[in-house]
Amino acid sequence: MAALLLPATLLVLGLLVAPMAMLFRISLNEYSAAQMMQEALTAENYLRAIADPYYRDVLGTTLGVALACTLLALLLGFPAAYWLARMQSRWKSLAVILTLFPLLVGNVVRAAGWMALLGRDGAINAALRSLGLITEPLALLYTTGAVIAGILAVVAPYMILTLAAVIEGIPRQVEEAAANLGAGPLTGFRRVVLPLALPGVAAGCVLVFILCMNAYATPVLLGGPQFKMMAPAVYDQFVRGTNWPFGAALAFILLVVTLTLTIIGSTVLGRHSRSR
Amino acid sequence: MFTRRSALAAALTAGLPGLATAQSGQVVVGTWGGDYGDLLAANIDKPILGPRGLEVVQDVGPQDPRKTKLIAERQARRGSMDVCCLSDVDMFTMAQQGVFEPVEEGRVPNLARAIPSLKRPYSAPHIYSAKVILYNPAKVPTPPQAYADLWDPKYRGRVGLVDILHLQNMEAASLVAGGTEHDYEPGKKKLMELRSLDVKVYPSNEALAAALKSEEVWLTIMWLARGFMWKKAGIPVEHAVPAEGATSICFEMAVPKNARNRDGAMAYLNAALDARAQTAFADRMGYAPTVTDAQLPPELARQISLTPEQQAKLRTPDYEYIARNQVALIDFWNKEFKR
Repeated sequence: MAALLLPATLLVLGLLVAPMAMLFRISLNEYSAAQMMQEALTAENYLRAIADPYYRDVLGTTLGVALACTLLALLLGFPAAYWLARMQSRWKSLAVILTLFPLLVGNVVRAAGWMALLGRDGAINAALRSLGLITEPLALLYTTGAVIAGILAVVAPYMILTLAAVIEGIPRQVEEAAANLGAGPLTGFRRVVLPLALPGVAAGCVLVFILCMNAYATPVLLGGPQFKMMAPAVYDQFVRGTNWPFGAALAFILLVVTLTLTIIGSTVLGRHSRSR
Repeated sequence: MFTRRSALAAALTAGLPGLATAQSGQVVVGTWGGDYGDLLAANIDKPILGPRGLEVVQDVGPQDPRKTKLIAERQARRGSMDVCCLSDVDMFTMAQQGVFEPVEEGRVPNLARAIPSLKRPYSAPHIYSAKVILYNPAKVPTPPQAYADLWDPKYRGRVGLVDILHLQNMEAASLVAGGTEHDYEPGKKKLMELRSLDVKVYPSNEALAAALKSEEVWLTIMWLARGFMWKKAGIPVEHAVPAEGATSICFEMAVPKNARNRDGAMAYLNAALDARAQTAFADRMGYAPTVTDAQLPPELARQISLTPEQQAKLRTPDYEYIARNQVALIDFWNKEFKR
């Protein structure tokens, strides 16, 4: 039976583990303007990234945006997921496809749509101006809000579908029993549905959080040149600055922070759901 | 033309070493797409190299990934590109890594007619232009004379810069501060002044073009050639050559040492310097020819070339200074100026 795992394991080893190991090795090298990279075994790149307030800021922005998007996706996604999960109609598969709809267009194309909507001469500003509500266009594009909205549109389907799958597994009778015993809809949700859906909440949050931490196209296109998240900063170091060692170190810092927070988050939520 | 099929062919030859040598008539050109790629195909690939049995496959992409590819393939016995197109600054940086074959008149005879100041030992100059000021004549009725005019407080919030030209913007600022192209340090303070005058930074040339068109900004620092194209596209801009002296930009072609078809690649460089091919780029993209035997119609020449006096003051970027300080300069631009 173990042989069944072989192809996938080889693929992961060859295409994920090996490049990651190479990248880690690069992160320990030294940058040199003439040679681009010099063999070394130094933690200098990591120390510089951690000590530099600019990169701490970039990491802070990344964490802030990722947490905000995860939380918003959960708050907006839960009611939608509940509705989808409890839907009896024959239109249910259509509703699932509609939920997936934002994922059918690429990240860049979707961002271009947001740009058309949020730009100075975009749809929103044009509408507000023709209604006489504003005279000067509002700065909507190249803001943190634009980035959060853009990322949210990408990650919401992941949250909704993950939650819906778990909520579908909660028997309706449990909710009816709670109502029978005098629980109002809110109490029923708080004491019955939510605790049972916690594994889904944990899985959805982890998935969405990881996607947000690594967002690239949306922050670049909707955040503008002044806005920096980690993935674009990594790209900048590799490609614009040709400083591979430092770029690799930033990539690993992003990886470790994401992994640590993911493990903490899912452990806490997991413990919570088991204790109930 | 860059087609799905040619992309597939490029992908195949990149992935299967040995296959390309069997078809010795193929040259893979790493280039930008859009107008540039189309013009290469229409004026070099088909009319000049086609009849000689050389099949050109374009590997289309932005410049930065192409640089990264060159570095990543540095140690490989066979690279994926035969000809690599880069702008002058990046070409110098890559040449320093020792990735290119020397380019000499013996193998590229048309180099004999190239403008001497544009020749490099590691590449062929393909097209060039100069860095100038673009302004909206309706909003800025007195044409600016110098980069320094962009610092005039009456243009607060109306100056736009493009993020990708960070080095060029820093050079201009250092000239305003009395510095030279050999040292951008004096420009840093000047840029921070511009920042306090609410300068706007745009992520791409296209975003800047949109801002100029909507008259959100009135002045910018840009290549003359791009100003010419924007004007043709109906964007309200005129150009002014700065009194501090314009700086040249040259787009160059080089042959990686590990190219599969080095002879074909050198033939490509030679064809690119052909006078017929050169004039087409001037007409459509506004870039001036790099060879002295390419004749432009006088009206076009007036719009895209510098006067002899301006030409005499033309500055060449200090590639060595840039290569040495690139990382620190980008850091300043990102961490202090854009913050």
